[in-house]
Amino acid sequence: MASLLKQLNGELAAVAARARRSVVQVHSARYGAGTGVVVQAAGLIVTNAHVVKKRYPRVTLADGRTLRAQVLGYDADEDLAALSVEADGLEALALADSRSARPGDLVQALGHPWGVVGAATAGVVVALEAGWLEPPLRGRDWIVADLHLWPGNSGGPLLDAAGRVLGLNTMLIGTGLGVAVPAHRVGAFLGRVAPSRRGAASGYVL
Amino acid sequence: MGDNGNILAQLSNALSATVEAVSRSIVRVEARRRGHASGIAWSKEGLVVTAHHAVQRDHDLRIGLPEGGTVEAELVGRDPTTDVAVLRARGATLHPPTWAEADSLHVGHLVLSVGRHDTHAQASLGIVAKKDGAWRTPTGGHVDAFLQTDILVYPGFSGSALVDAEGRAGGMNTSWFLRRSSLTLPAATLRRVVGVLLEHGRVRRGLLGVGAHPAQLPGSVRQDLEQHAGLLVVSVEDESPAEAAGVLVGDLIVGLDGEPVQHLESLLFLLTEERIGKAVPLRVVRGGRLETLTVTVGERR
Repeated sequence: MASLLKQLNGELAAVAARARRSVVQVHSARYGAGTGVVVQAAGLIVTNAHVVKKRYPRVTLADGRTLRAQVLGYDADEDLAALSVEADGLEALALADSRSARPGDLVQALGHPWGVVGAATAGVVVALEAGWLEPPLRGRDWIVADLHLWPGNSGGPLLDAAGRVLGLNTMLIGTGLGVAVPAHRVGAFLGRVAPSRRGAASGYVL
Repeated sequence: MGDNGNILAQLSNALSATVEAVSRSIVRVEARRRGHASGIAWSKEGLVVTAHHAVQRDHDLRIGLPEGGTVEAELVGRDPTTDVAVLRARGATLHPPTWAEADSLHVGHLVLSVGRHDTHAQASLGIVAKKDGAWRTPTGGHVDAFLQTDILVYPGFSGSALVDAEGRAGGMNTSWFLRRSSLTLPAATLRRVVGVLLEHGRVRRGLLGVGAHPAQLPGSVRQDLEQHAGLLVVSVEDESPAEAAGVLVGDLIVGLDGEPVQHLESLLFLLTEERIGKAVPLRVVRGGRLETLTVTVGERR
């Protein structure tokens, strides 16, 4: 039993450690940073639109480099933005098949709550809809998870048990629920705004 | 952990499979103006157990079924003291869960809360945070075990099931008693309350027929009784058990049936179903002196 928990802890930590190498800070306001995820080795990053408040936000990569980013795509309605930085050989995270997610699936979120860089929190998928949201947000696909998120988590990855991006953490409900844009909506958005880059390097699964 | 991810993936799959299996026992309860709550199938014939506080009206109730669709329901009864309500879904065949008793749940156990305030089931994960023996709710309800989890309860989760690692329902979650944190009414309590509600439509509560206010005892009696406060009678209802017993305005009630009465809650605790119709000693302080009256506890209607 103890060794089982030890193994479980080891695997949770490994997922977080691997994902942390693909998680970036997005600096776009005077204070604080949002989170972004590298989805292509050639410098394609996805985050929330509400994190991006400038045309050229700065992005701090996991290796510590801070680069100027270009906004490739911006969809306020979907709350998604695609950024591109002049870098290559970055470690990218693959998108999961979010349509097959089920309530009870274990998930982790990575982000920078309160400016704590690369912080992890774990929980389970609560629901794949968010009936509490007001229209037009209600009725869309969401992934709701019982996670302790804070504003700095915005745009960060919601990871499944295999360490793939199940969604992008976008909203909070109270202090114990996170609402994420599911990966299939992120994939569709990236297909629209960065079509030429699709499939380049370690791509994402649509 | 990707490729070497083994336990984590297995655990994740086991959790979602457990949720899926038990969710066929979880229904949506549409009984309040804003936001639906959850309920647990109690019998194949359509009985549903849910949280009393989530059933804000007695009519125009509906149950959302696990397989989809909504049916009309009627209120069988409710017990505000334990926050349990029982509904009967019309023309629906339900799938009650397998129940687990509280003694099989231990602090540290992984548990899920499975509800359905939307179309589909919702789940959240936590552990059993605290477990203790039987307790009385502030309004006098008897609960067979104190079961608290660290599962977050948000609107709509009241009436959800606490589900153990074997997929059994260990009780019904409610946010009523602890507000921001989840308290679980164990299966034994649900069985007992549902039984009474099916028979009487409500849980019977005793009645004295007095209006009372907590007050400090005079110094002399304080020492004799080893209690500091009692209930000052400010009104006595006509033709009430208290009037028949000779209770007067100005009496300080300090004990009922051998148990101390110091505040309104302690009197409520004592006005249980078992005492209805029984003649029990009522201790009062009158004119600075202790007196014992005999009161036949009535029934609150």
